Amino acid sequence: MRRTRLGLVTGGTFKTGLGVRLDADCTTEDLRVGEMVVIEGASNRYFGMITDMQLQATDPRLLASPPEAGSTLLAQALTGTVNYATVEVKPMLMLELKADLDEQRGPGPVRTIPMHFAALRKASAMDFDTVFGKEGGTNFAVGTPVPMDIPIRLRLDRFVERSNGIFGQSGTGKSFLARVLLCGVIRTRAAANLIFDMHSEYAFDKQTEDGHFVRGLRDLFGPQILVYSLDEGAAARRNVDVTLAVGLNQIEAEDIMLLADELDLTSTTAATAGLLGDQYGKEWLRQLLAMSADDVAEFCQSSGAHPEATRALQRKLRGVQRRAYLKEEAPFSLIDEMVAALGRGRSIILEFGRFDNPLDYMLVANIVTRRIRRLYQQKMERFEETKAETDRPPQLVITLEEAHKFLNPAVASQTIFGTIAREMRKYNVTLMVIDQRPSGIDPEVMSQLGTRVTGLLTEERDIDAVFTGVGGRSFLRGALASLDTRQQVLLMGHAVPMPVVVQTRTYDEEFYRAVGSSGSWTEDREINATDIWGKKQ
Amino acid sequence: MRIGEIVESTSTHFVAESLDLGRPPELGRLVKVHLAEDRDLCAVVCHGETGSLDPGRRAVRRSTEEVYDDQVYREHPQLEHVLRTQFTSLAVGVIDKEVVHQGLPSQPPPLHYSVHGCDEEETTRFTQDLYYFRLLLGVPVRIPVELVLAGHLRWVYRGRGHDEEWLQVAAREVAKLLKQDYERLATVLYAIERDT
Repeated sequence: MRRTRLGLVTGGTFKTGLGVRLDADCTTEDLRVGEMVVIEGASNRYFGMITDMQLQATDPRLLASPPEAGSTLLAQALTGTVNYATVEVKPMLMLELKADLDEQRGPGPVRTIPMHFAALRKASAMDFDTVFGKEGGTNFAVGTPVPMDIPIRLRLDRFVERSNGIFGQSGTGKSFLARVLLCGVIRTRAAANLIFDMHSEYAFDKQTEDGHFVRGLRDLFGPQILVYSLDEGAAARRNVDVTLAVGLNQIEAEDIMLLADELDLTSTTAATAGLLGDQYGKEWLRQLLAMSADDVAEFCQSSGAHPEATRALQRKLRGVQRRAYLKEEAPFSLIDEMVAALGRGRSIILEFGRFDNPLDYMLVANIVTRRIRRLYQQKMERFEETKAETDRPPQLVITLEEAHKFLNPAVASQTIFGTIAREMRKYNVTLMVIDQRPSGIDPEVMSQLGTRVTGLLTEERDIDAVFTGVGGRSFLRGALASLDTRQQVLLMGHAVPMPVVVQTRTYDEEFYRAVGSSGSWTEDREINATDIWGKKQ
Repeated sequence: MRIGEIVESTSTHFVAESLDLGRPPELGRLVKVHLAEDRDLCAVVCHGETGSLDPGRRAVRRSTEEVYDDQVYREHPQLEHVLRTQFTSLAVGVIDKEVVHQGLPSQPPPLHYSVHGCDEEETTRFTQDLYYFRLLLGVPVRIPVELVLAGHLRWVYRGRGHDEEWLQVAAREVAKLLKQDYERLATVLYAIERDT
């Protein structure tokens, strides 16, 4: 195997990284900031990332009078001798080389640095396999390093065991990346998924900006995917399995807190919901909606609530009440069945149809998730008692868009999503949040996100936010800034041994074949109830 | 072919009297001294001068309206005996039984030994390794050594049959040795560039 040498280590420190002088025949334009490279020390192999590049000269007088235009001999003699280039490399992983192959372990954290003149070379396919693992199990290829054709694999088992974030400004292809990751999770059965699909893009075929169609998850995975919809009308047109109805009885005070911005409520008004809850318990909403002016006054007397706030709350919630999917009362069994299906390893997509506005999205997502998490908590507690494998609830990943609306500092401590994010994997429920404004997410939640996949970000605040809780951010900023606007992401965190820049896999025919779907599932197959819920209806 | 005889000899260089008056070997040329059967000392010509044999006396004007330049020599044949041409050569290595060793000789060459020009084959063999550039740049000489080096590179380039590749390698080697002093380096490289 030919390993091309790029240069030699000439300086640097453990803290800041190593300086490498490039060989005379190696040009900076052959390398990229953010690229993975390998330094061969005497006893260790170091896998690192290029974090900076510099141009140098041994004699500054050269720079004052550079070679004349026609002086090819001079220019060629000077390159690599008087004027030369250096790159900064931050080692991220270290492999202790053992003479005896049986003793050889995998790469681990960096604990030392190589001596002067250790060679730097490009990473080969074998290096990527060593670091990211071979194909198989829950290792799933998500893309390639930018200039090469070698797969970079994500450890999906580690990906799903913590909450994660997909970030990037609009147009960077977040929803495609989400599709790729979800296909990976479903294909490798790393976890069950619940996807709150605000714009109804994941289940069925969708037309992209460029005009061509991309396959939906239902088309690719058939009965493994269940499609729920909030919108009855839309459900009739599409191949939806269940129409979800939500009841007023399922709305809790915390939902109103979450929706304070969307409903344009002051904090006092929002807090009134809490007071109503204290007084009326589960029936608080129906009581509120049914109150007459006198009832309101009476309530305010007894509870100390503000009359104007209470009336304002009543007005706003009457508006919400009119939504077609909201019934007076809805059984929790609908949601419980979702959990049963998830328990059998199915994945569920909840489409919002015409209710694709933030208010409905947040309300329903919150209600459904709260119920599901409660059930999961019960299951986990039972499992901890019985310790029987069959009682263990399968890992669940909840995909959430517009995450900053659910996880901003004002509401993060109050919503179920904030709780899930902070709990890590306590009840086997984690989040996959998709957002273009990571600065809008509570820093404490952000630091709990295990793996972050980020596309190009230009706002300083967003860049700072996405690196919250990540070590070595100063090196990674250069890599983040070097990303292309589309299809390139920086992958870092729990699911990858070291941060890496990835050209994401294209979501196309080749990909569909790779995830193993044989033809479309939509029209030709009959999906019956036994398939879905595994029991007779 | 004999081109001179050594009249001064030191560890670093020797001075030879040229056999041809007024025509010392070219600046930068490779010359050699047969030290023994298979041993040749190689050196680079770095200086040439013509003057009176007697250090006390100096050359005087001999031309007239009708007699000048080479006619002066025909008119005054005794000049052959009162003038002499000398050239200085820097020792750069030894070829011993066909193996090249670059560096100062262990002993200075004997006085009165002949100096010969190096032919194309010997030149090519000696200049494969460029370590000897250090010797040229290290020894103090009377004229700026960059110009000697430039002359030498031009001469070797031609002697090797206009070897472009060698010239590029040699230019890089010079750049490495003079990397702290760009002006000196530019002097050498521009000088070669203009000529090739």
